[in-house]
Amino acid sequence: MANGLDKVMDALDIETFIVAKDEDEAIRTIRQIMTDMGLRDIDVVYCKHLGPGARVRARGYVFRAGDMYGWLKEAQQ
Amino acid sequence: MSIIKKVVLAPMDPVHDIGLKMIRRGLEEAGHITWLYPPDYSPQEIIRGIMEHQADTVLISRTLGYGVEEVLARFVDLLDAAGLRERVKIAVGGMAIRPELAAELGFDGGFGPGTTVEETVAFVEGREYIPARCMNKHNRYNLIGDYRYEFKNRPIKGLLDQITAQILDWSKERTSPGVQRALLRRQILTDESQGESTACHKKEYASLCDDIVSKYYTSGCLHPQTRKLGIEELAAISRYVEQTRSRMNPENIRHTRQKPGVFVQYGTGCPSMDIAHIKASEAWGADGVVHFDPSWGARSEGFLEGYLTHHEDGSVITPENLKCIKESLQESTLWQVRAHRGVNTAETVLLAGNAGADLTKINIAYGCLGAGTDPERMIVDGVQAIKFAAQYGMPFDVVTNEELSGVPAYKAFAGMLIVSNLSLALGAMPILQPLFCYSPEVMINGNMSDNYIDFNVAKILALRNIINAPIWAGAPIGFLTQTEERVQSSVSTGLHAALAASLGVEAISIASSDEAYSGGPIAAASRIDTLKAVKEAFRFLGTATIEPTASARQWAEHLEAGIEQVLRQVLEVGDFAQALQQGVLGSREEGAYPGRAGAGTVYRV
Repeated sequence: MANGLDKVMDALDIETFIVAKDEDEAIRTIRQIMTDMGLRDIDVVYCKHLGPGARVRARGYVFRAGDMYGWLKEAQQ
Repeated sequence: MSIIKKVVLAPMDPVHDIGLKMIRRGLEEAGHITWLYPPDYSPQEIIRGIMEHQADTVLISRTLGYGVEEVLARFVDLLDAAGLRERVKIAVGGMAIRPELAAELGFDGGFGPGTTVEETVAFVEGREYIPARCMNKHNRYNLIGDYRYEFKNRPIKGLLDQITAQILDWSKERTSPGVQRALLRRQILTDESQGESTACHKKEYASLCDDIVSKYYTSGCLHPQTRKLGIEELAAISRYVEQTRSRMNPENIRHTRQKPGVFVQYGTGCPSMDIAHIKASEAWGADGVVHFDPSWGARSEGFLEGYLTHHEDGSVITPENLKCIKESLQESTLWQVRAHRGVNTAETVLLAGNAGADLTKINIAYGCLGAGTDPERMIVDGVQAIKFAAQYGMPFDVVTNEELSGVPAYKAFAGMLIVSNLSLALGAMPILQPLFCYSPEVMINGNMSDNYIDFNVAKILALRNIINAPIWAGAPIGFLTQTEERVQSSVSTGLHAALAASLGVEAISIASSDEAYSGGPIAAASRIDTLKAVKEAFRFLGTATIEPTASARQWAEHLEAGIEQVLRQVLEVGDFAQALQQGVLGSREEGAYPGRAGAGTVYRV
């Protein structure tokens, strides 16, 4: 597979629990993780910090409406 | 019937034997002879049983993962040592089992989580298993059913008939650029189908459009937020649909009830992405899809043409865009194109009908009070839209979205009933669409401070006390109860779906689990979240019902009385447009602002 992300229809979500002292730290951390994974169009959809850390859901848009979608390339060939 | 098999079922596990009990029932229904042993028999005891019964098949279950390999390997060794391995077929199943592991240990079959009884029976009978899902038939959902639109509340019917007569009388000699464009579009479509030139009618059409739309017809300039899809893109999406369709095997989202039909909304901006989302939603059990257009599409006079993608939310309505979306749909999928709110309402219904849409959406009161269209204009265009819907035999919902602006439900319902009765007079098929939502009204009055059930039930009871008509809970159900957290969002949608099912409404529109997220477009995976949640909710509820508290009935009575009072006030004003302007169906204080789009454009024929 040339590029797995080409198979993502639109967005890649990462959900996890970040050990952090507050919400800001959790958001910074998940953003860093997403960036390290090579995702560029990033947002934090949900983050709630309680006690030991934060439940987070971060999203990297791989394709937005109107882009040239990778998953259409196969159909195109 | 295959040859009768003698089957020993042995839970080689301290306690768990539920799976084997289900399989035994399946085997016995298929005519086989079975012996089910109690849990925790030793391998030696099981082998003694096999010899005693001269069994030809043994099904072992093993749920616990710890030490599973050693226990199972020992069983196979003992079976071998007893000289039974050659003539006895053996399989093992359970949460800890994978087919690879079973084969490695010397079993003929291995069944992991999710195995069906039918699959195990097929193994025993030595035949190929054809999964039941391959035989799924996703039937087209019938939304209108046998409703006859009989009014039970006669005083309300009397008021509605008088208001309907006023509206028809007022609108009969009035028209608008929107109505004229729709009539021209009809002519253009006819010309195209007959291979005749459309240039003359398109020139006239352009003269009735706003500049930004008119420029497309006069100089080919597109709206700045749109671009044309290329030939290769169109060919690719067409092939994608073809390839996907060959793999489609849609889930049945309902369990034991026949209702409600489940609709999802799409409108990513790009027809190709819309189609991709639609195919995913269809696969996960959606009965229907609802087309969302951009907000500017309701306020700019006129429609563009061509295969267009839009850079922001909402997919542009053009004859070509609608055509390519329609072509992508499964035969069983119902398709709704919304037309309820703006200066293109009449043409939207025409295009939707022409493109083969099953449903549309029209509400004059909401279009004025919550969507920014001038009341007179909305009435004139709305009446024509309803006529088109009737001509195409296309039912439409009358949604009370003005509730979201703060209009109390009884006022919004009065508007909905006015439009519905008007529609019946014009030969159309309206569907009542009250909101199942946490509206500003209930937030302020505390009607949902204890639960989300009673007030929603009250709405349905009130409407059913008035008229026997299809009800489609909207839109989306649970609106404003969902948060950005996807589990909460999905659960809330699922619970509202269960309530709607319990009430026996005809349909629901559901959001994705991204409903409350405003930072970016809705992701396809989020659509699956709520479809899965709704399916689980339907499974949970079955044919049981949800019992509201006594408040539901009391509020239903208040709603019904309030509706009647509002209708009397509308009748007293004597002019529907004026009633809308004066706040009878929702005042500025409540959050309803009569719109200005299209103001001053209505003229006498």
